[in-house]
Order: sequence, then C-alpha cells, then structure tokens
Amino acid sequence: MTANLPSQKDAIASALKLYPTRPYAVADIGSQSGWLKAASHDARNLYVSGPMGLSTSIALGVAASRPNEQVLAIIGDGALAMNLTSLITIANAKPDNLAILLVDNRVYEYTASVPTPSRELDWLAIGRSILGDRNCARLSDLAPDKWAETPRPAMIVADIAQGDKPPPLGMSPAMIRAAFLEASKA
Amino acid sequence: MAETSIPKTALFQSIRDASPKLVTGVPDGMLAATIEACQATDEFAYIACAREEECIGVASGAAMAGERAIILVQNAGLLNAIGAFATMGLRYQLPFVIIVTNRGVLADPNSYDIEKHDAFELSVKNLARVFTYDAANLPKDLVPAAFKWAEAARRPAVIALERRLEGATQ
Repeated sequence: MTANLPSQKDAIASALKLYPTRPYAVADIGSQSGWLKAASHDARNLYVSGPMGLSTSIALGVAASRPNEQVLAIIGDGALAMNLTSLITIANAKPDNLAILLVDNRVYEYTASVPTPSRELDWLAIGRSILGDRNCARLSDLAPDKWAETPRPAMIVADIAQGDKPPPLGMSPAMIRAAFLEASKA
Repeated sequence: MAETSIPKTALFQSIRDASPKLVTGVPDGMLAATIEACQATDEFAYIACAREEECIGVASGAAMAGERAIILVQNAGLLNAIGAFATMGLRYQLPFVIIVTNRGVLADPNSYDIEKHDAFELSVKNLARVFTYDAANLPKDLVPAAFKWAEAARRPAVIALERRLEGATQ
C-alpha cells in the first residue's frame, strides 16, 4: 500500500505550498513536529510536545487569536484518533481560517511503528461527516486554486508512506515559545 | 438569547475585567450562568469544547500567541486533562487561567463528587498553585489578579471555586 505514496516530509511541504502566503503551522508531537521542521522550518511553526493529538485544539486557539491569518494543524492518524472530539469542537466553532492536514501512515511512527487502531478508517469520510463534504479533500486532489476555494474549517487527508523517524527537533520549549510569540505578534 | 437578557454573574464580570482574548470550557452547573454570559458577549470569543483536554489546547494556542485565555471546567474535567496541563501549560510556561469548580466539599456532598475532590487535592495541588475561593463571595478583581500572578510566575494559575456552608467565612 505504501508504494508511490509521498513521504511525510513531502506531504507537509506540498500542503504548505497550497497557500499563497505562509500559514501558521501547528504540528503535533513527534513525527509531525520533526518532519515539519525538516520540510519547512519557519518562525510561524509551532512545535508542540503533547499530549498526542492536541495540535488541532492548539491550532484552534491560535486561529481564534489571529482571525485574519491562516492556520494549519498537522497531525497523524494515531494522534487524531486520540483527540477526535476536537473535530466536533472545531465544526461547532466554525473558524474560517483553520485547516487540518491529516498525515495517515497507519502506524505510530514514533513508537516502533506499531499499527494504529484507526488504520482501516476512511478519514475523508469522517472529516466530511463532521466538517462538511466541501470542506475535506485528499492532498493528491488539491491545487492552490482549488484549496483557496475550499471552505474552512477544512481537512486535507494525505496518505503517506511509512518511514523513519525525523531528525531531532533540537529546540527547547522556551525557544519554541519565544520564536512563535515573536512571529505571531498582533 | 440576546446578551442583554442574560444575567451577568460576578465571575463573568471579573472575567471581563481581565480582558481575555478567549474563554473556553466544558459546562458545570456552578458555571452555567457564567458560560451563558460568555457565549453571549461579543467582547471575547467563547469556544465550547467537547472535552476538557481540548480546553488546555485551545488556551495554550492563545497563550502561545501572547493572548490571555481562560478555561472554565469542573475538577473532574481538569483531572481528565492533567497530561495536557503538564506538557503544555507547565512545560511551555503558559500564563493562562483555569477556573475550576471544586466539587465534593462539605457543602457540596454529591456522592459521585467525593473522589473527584480527593483526586484534585492529591494531583492538581501538587502540580500547580491553586487559589481557593467561596463561589458565592468572589473578589471583584479575582481573574485580573490571577492573570497578574500567572504572567509574573510564567505558569498557569488555577482558581478553585467551592461552595461554603451557610454562615462560613472565607
């Protein structure tokens, strides 16, 4: 199943390129933070350290605080399964500047690639049932013009290849916070 | 419901005086009127979360952007979110304010609340500074003062609201 699928790093880079200007990117603990840094390190990145799955909620807080800026939460399938209720909260809050990139490799990449219990779920169908049909798409079906017209809150589903762990983040929480605080000044 | 028809609780007035960017929460009976007022106002956003761990995330996102955020939950809810509280609030030194209804005290003896109170005392009070107040007798500057403390301490402040027996003093 992983033949011809993009790496997590490439999927993240492709999703960021859908935006005309760099969005805030809130990456979940572990693989997503590491691969976001490897794909596109930027002061607008927020690398969070858990618990797994909280990035969608943190991104909602950023989106509510900066309503004129686009925010992209980056989360794995195992992580979103741990905070699935955040989709319901986001659907109710209706932020018009928030999107979720779900990178689905069907394993806990940071934990010896143990298979996730969500590996047989249709994430696109789940996203559409909660956020709306028009709000969710596969990364492989998106181009910048189509993405610009996709209503928010939105979800991009990216099937990705299983891979190795990313390079170490090499940033302390204080460094991450200070950099993001500076980049997100109102 | 129009904002003008919703009674403003003392807690809501204190929240408003702190000028938060957002308030987030999961309802508890003691907080219901305040949450209704928060939902009705246009002075800040209220984000209703499906579960309490999300509230820590939402408040963390706002605090990471340098904004004031307030969480309204019951003690059982904060207990559900201890991991998030530690790995976001404490680890990133985020100065948000959590207002917790501390159920299970002498004046609030629902059988299902007793262990929540015990667990709150054993866990949250060992992790964070908890400021405890009579829910019926709140200082006007409670929430602004909690932010001043949190911003000076560079960590979350927890306000525990409890029912008191009739005639009890603070």
